[in-house]
Amino acid sequence: MKKRKLSENKLDVLKELANIGVGNAITSLSKMLNEEKVEMDVPVATLALLQDIPDLLGGAELPVAGIYIESHGDISLTIIFVLSLESASNLVSTLLPGSRGEFDEMGLSALIEVGNILTSSYLNALSFMTNLQLLPSPPEIAVDMSGAIISTVMAEAYIVDDEVVLLRTFLNSRESHIAGHILIIPDRGALDKIFTLLGIR
Amino acid sequence: MDTFKVKIADLAVLRDQGILITVGLGSCVGVALHDAENKVGGLAHILLSSSCQFGNRSNSFNPAKFADTAIPLLVEKMEKAGGRRIRFTAKIAGGSQLFTFQKTGISVGEKNIEAVRQTLKELEIPLRGEDVGGNFGRTMRFFIDSGKVVITTVGRGEKEL
Repeated sequence: MKKRKLSENKLDVLKELANIGVGNAITSLSKMLNEEKVEMDVPVATLALLQDIPDLLGGAELPVAGIYIESHGDISLTIIFVLSLESASNLVSTLLPGSRGEFDEMGLSALIEVGNILTSSYLNALSFMTNLQLLPSPPEIAVDMSGAIISTVMAEAYIVDDEVVLLRTFLNSRESHIAGHILIIPDRGALDKIFTLLGIR
Repeated sequence: MDTFKVKIADLAVLRDQGILITVGLGSCVGVALHDAENKVGGLAHILLSSSCQFGNRSNSFNPAKFADTAIPLLVEKMEKAGGRRIRFTAKIAGGSQLFTFQKTGISVGEKNIEAVRQTLKELEIPLRGEDVGGNFGRTMRFFIDSGKVVITTVGRGEKEL
């Protein structure tokens, strides 16, 4: 199997794009949580084997809530927001005062809305920096094993490479006990376009 | 007892005894092939239905990823491990539709189930049990000595095939 290579330089550029975009998304999340402080780790840009991604999230069998958005337009990206069940439940009860944080219809729509706002703010920032038109699809949500969610997203997005470029950020709100991962997987063509646009060889 | 994990788009074969596990099947389909007499078993975790579009395109082609290439490869490996194709039987699980708002048309899960059934039929391997479809993920444990397959889920109990 031939390994793909991506220079440190290119990975750094992707990391920076993720940093600005996710930073914007975190600000939106903080607004939804009544201006509560949300911390984020510096995004990591790596080449990851598809089959190893669930392990980065705590194991393939771990039950999680996964919100998934595809973005098309000038370039294609897949974005997944993954929360532990506890975090997802805390997020629901923070957003819907008086609810018990259950994953009923209301709870799931609230989570979908968070996914929507996070993703739009990320994509707005990316679009602003690159001048690319990005058209997100409506978010979809599933509460299940992380392995099942990740592999289903990969199959839905028709990602056929074994190794993908993965931009990963961990975010954390201490007050409401909400922690989650944002995963961004640009498709192969998207990377070429971004690098060309930014004049990186 | 030996326990071996089969990851996404991967496959493995064991002899005599041991357990093959594949965790978190969503739209993917797990295919367990068994030769009861020679006690040879193999398990594949299939991501997509057909390699047709990708076979020539990619120089990192992984046959274990697609139904139409993974099952023949699994058969070949089981034969090398001492199995006899004429005795092979199959049990399959997965192919669910996890997300609430699906795109129109047939889901990836359904396509995968259909492709797995078709490939098994072409290879004349009888299907002896299945737990497919629905909207939830599954984990598959395949016991090589008995051929038993145990399916576990998040909050939907356990099932034996």
